[in-house]
Amino acid sequence: MDRSGEAVASIGVRWSSGMDEAALIRAAQSGDQDAFERLVRGYDQSVLRLAHRLLGASEDVQDVYQEAFLRVYKNLNQFRFDCSFQTWLYRIVTNLCLDALRKKKVRREESSMVETSEGPRDRMDVVEDNHAVADPQRKLLSVQLKDRIKSTLAGLTPRERMVFEMRHYEGMRLRAIGDALGTSEEAAKNCLFRATQKMRTALGDFV
Amino acid sequence: MNLTCESVRRELPLLIYGELSFDEEENVQRHIDGCADCARSLEAERAMHAALDEFETPVPEGLLVSARRGLRRALAEELERASRPSLWHRVWNSPYLKPAGAFAAVALAFFGGRMTNPVAEKSDFDTENIRPVASRVRYVEPSPSGDGVQIVLDETRQRIVSGSLEDRSIKQLLLAAAKDPNDPGLRVESVEMLCSRSGEAEVRDALLYALEHDTNPGVRLKALDGLKTYSKDSETRAVLARVLLKDTNSGVRAQAIDVLTQSRNKDIVAPLQELLRKEDNDYVRMRTQNALREMKASPGIF
Repeated sequence: MDRSGEAVASIGVRWSSGMDEAALIRAAQSGDQDAFERLVRGYDQSVLRLAHRLLGASEDVQDVYQEAFLRVYKNLNQFRFDCSFQTWLYRIVTNLCLDALRKKKVRREESSMVETSEGPRDRMDVVEDNHAVADPQRKLLSVQLKDRIKSTLAGLTPRERMVFEMRHYEGMRLRAIGDALGTSEEAAKNCLFRATQKMRTALGDFV
Repeated sequence: MNLTCESVRRELPLLIYGELSFDEEENVQRHIDGCADCARSLEAERAMHAALDEFETPVPEGLLVSARRGLRRALAEELERASRPSLWHRVWNSPYLKPAGAFAAVALAFFGGRMTNPVAEKSDFDTENIRPVASRVRYVEPSPSGDGVQIVLDETRQRIVSGSLEDRSIKQLLLAAAKDPNDPGLRVESVEMLCSRSGEAEVRDALLYALEHDTNPGVRLKALDGLKTYSKDSETRAVLARVLLKDTNSGVRAQAIDVLTQSRNKDIVAPLQELLRKEDNDYVRMRTQNALREMKASPGIF
């Protein structure tokens, strides 16, 4: 997976019907339910991924997902196109995620649990490791690496974690992240720098 | 510009993420080309990124579907709330009436369950779970032995039935659920499932009923979805024309125009002209004008 460069500069939603995003938003503002649903479908997978990585437990993730799009629905008439819809949506989503992270004080164990058909399991344990299976020593190292990544992510501040997840896994530009968090690109850059520095310090033995 | 190793190493994550300007990237790259230590740091940074990529956590299967379903229900409830008169809204939310409402819902479910049981018995339903979900004390009396009490309970039981949409009993339950007055979310989901069977007359009638009579715009919009295959049917067109002129939700009116104009039948010209005369929503007006223009009809009645 190559997340560098322009290819993943933003989420880059493509609308299938030829209608552009502004037209969809205007239609949704006028009460067109179908247009609203298409707007949701354009962004909801990305919102769910972000919430899932940050919050882990499915119930919290669904709460954030639902509340975010309900707020969009209730406040869409106040959207005046003075920023991109994506920025506006992510302001709502990041606020909800930060609140959830702070309010619930998500513990390391909780944040790393995911629901599986066999019940709740550590999220890192369900990630398929394509390389380690044949080599026991490598497998051991891989397990240790997972633990280290998990504990380092959990040790980041909510803002560092948010910026890191949005940049590294969602591929959002720092400027867009700054806009979403209501701060400057420079502040987002500093957050990212601190997060990667912590990662480097923690993972230095492994990579 | 000559950069120090320290400043270059600070920029390495930004280099990998593609967040440096053209000039900044050139300067950093030039330094790395001539500095073995910084080149090694860049390799280590890339290795760390690769390790982090490898542990990207997949979203559990089914979570998206479940989240979308939850949102659909929440939106339907929101639409229901928005379309309710405010006084009724206040009364409904009264803390004193909620227990009464809950009891009424339990009672309705209980008697509804009793009524639908005979249908279920005849079917090949797989009963996965049967457990009491609500109970009500019918009466209390001393036990015959005199050393205790005897309590008679009315219990509502929940059970899960599954089957194909081809199954007549399943279809009957869906048709009933599509009219459940207490749960707009349930109506939305039932109507959505019925849409896949919209080739059948009784399903079409249920969709027409929902479109014309359901109080929730979300349910009406779903019904419109299912009626797209009936855009040439005269009875459907008559209902759609009425909806066009009387529905209070602009989204429903806009979508009704879409369905009606799927076929170029001139019967729609007069309702569209009438709509244009009284419509105050700009978006719906624009759609109406476009539809009339495409049909080469005049926008006004002469």
